[in-house]
Amino acid sequence: MPPNSAGGAIVVPPATGLAVRAKVGLVRAWPFLPAGLMLALLFLVPMAVMVVFSLWRTTPDFDIVPDWTLDNYAYFFNTPTYVRTLLKTLIMAAAVTAAGIAAAFPFAYFLVRYVSPRWQRAVLLAVIVPFWTSYLLRAYAWQAILGPKGALNQLLTGIGVTDEPSRLFIYDNPGVWLVLVYVYFPFAALAIYASLEKFDFTQLNAAQDLGARPDQALLHILLPQVRPGLITACIFVFIPILGEFLTPALVGGTEGLLIANLIVNFFRGLQYTTMAAFCFIIAALVTVLLVIFRRYLQVEDVVART
Amino acid sequence: MDPIQTMPVSPYARLVRAVLRTWALVVLAFLYLPIAFLVLFSFEESRTPGLPITGLTLHWYEKMISNGILLGAVWNSILVAVAATTLATIIGTMAAFPLVRGGIRFPNVARILFTLPIMLPGALIGVALLLFFRRVLDAELSFWTVIAGHLVFTTPYIVLIVGARLQGFDRMLEWAAADLGASPARVLRHIVLPLIAPAIMAGALISVTLSIDEFVITFFTVGPQLTLPIYIYTQIKFGVTPEVNAVATVLLVGTMAVLGLSWLMAGQARRISGLIGSRGGAGR
Repeated sequence: MPPNSAGGAIVVPPATGLAVRAKVGLVRAWPFLPAGLMLALLFLVPMAVMVVFSLWRTTPDFDIVPDWTLDNYAYFFNTPTYVRTLLKTLIMAAAVTAAGIAAAFPFAYFLVRYVSPRWQRAVLLAVIVPFWTSYLLRAYAWQAILGPKGALNQLLTGIGVTDEPSRLFIYDNPGVWLVLVYVYFPFAALAIYASLEKFDFTQLNAAQDLGARPDQALLHILLPQVRPGLITACIFVFIPILGEFLTPALVGGTEGLLIANLIVNFFRGLQYTTMAAFCFIIAALVTVLLVIFRRYLQVEDVVART
Repeated sequence: MDPIQTMPVSPYARLVRAVLRTWALVVLAFLYLPIAFLVLFSFEESRTPGLPITGLTLHWYEKMISNGILLGAVWNSILVAVAATTLATIIGTMAAFPLVRGGIRFPNVARILFTLPIMLPGALIGVALLLFFRRVLDAELSFWTVIAGHLVFTTPYIVLIVGARLQGFDRMLEWAAADLGASPARVLRHIVLPLIAPAIMAGALISVTLSIDEFVITFFTVGPQLTLPIYIYTQIKFGVTPEVNAVATVLLVGTMAVLGLSWLMAGQARRISGLIGSRGGAGR
């Protein structure tokens, strides 16, 4: 794919009569309508509804009444537990992103640099397949390893490190971190692979011919050119974790809960306006990140690499 | 591979390579280890799965296929996936044309609109839909609300995957067909659709697997019905049965097979378009 294809390369036909006729036949706006209307009705309108509700009030008998107020937001920012949970979620997202990239970069580098194209395709498939399979089950599968009767505990008791199964690995933050790294690794790997694949490695030789040390060549030649891939990887790992409630619910116990788990609590408690406000806070964070990094983001590199 | 690329660039090249290779193997093991344990535990005799393995049995698979609630949930998931994917594939493929070929006024806005449902956390989409259905439309949550929710995130995948294919599409083929007198409808039917069919199929298969596995949006938009992931979640949350491991194994192995297939088909498409000399070079 050419580097800027995410920006939308439009093929311009030569200006001959017949070509124009063919263009007119297959280039019209109306086919966009059904999908456009669907997204407007089922995505944009509900998002707008969410914002509006976040500014309304829930009555004690769970009705939503249009009293315009910022109380829902004040409630969030005046409750230290909630603010702490938000900060913790941001730290968790950053820690998972850092680990994901630290794991994925050498992996992708090895793949692009030292593996033959045929094997690259196979290994890439091995990474992509878990990426598309059930997120719920991949998180659940870790219970088999981290749980009280899991493989890790059996190993540790087996070699005599601990006497009885430890609950250290599950139902707390480290377990959530590990499982999130696992779940989001393929995003990072795909994004970084896509950018490394476009890199011309002879540039490193050239840099070293001109006297650069290998680390200097990596830092000043490779890094700037793969930056879009790294940013795409960051975004693809960081953002979903802001809305992550399933992994904490499965392996987080009471200690490992993240901001989206609060949303689920309000959902269960029918506190819809508070829930909407919490959602909007997350949505606002996501939007800010997407706006800041939009120019680097190469969604197709991750999503359309089938 | 270019010989220059394999030329060692540092005295440590061999060491670096060995370390990187080890790392790659560790990563692959990391990706598949939990799945391997899950599969292993699905054959474990004991009611509380764990190590050491006490014995192997197919008992949980037998229980699985005679569990009416589970089978009902599977059926529900298949209905939702087929309905959502059929609709998403049709409207997504249609939308990809104007999006890639510039038939609409603000292609970049539209492009962002179609990436947002993929980028935004599912919980936000689920909550927004829940509020919209329950409190604005005053509708009961049902299959239809689940299908609507799945449509929101599957359609963008189809648009992006088919769009990526269209971007590398050689328009000369269409102009040649038109030159030879084919109507736009015939160009579409006999030239364009056959060539992008593998991308459409790959997109549809991915949409089906995503829909069958989808938990988060369904969690917020489902009524009293059970879909398979919702069933599995309740099982995991409230009293584990080893049956879940059997279900999980079937589902994981099943989706992996479907995905492998769709990937091979997409590869086929790349080779075919490579043969007829696609100029755009979108494929690899």
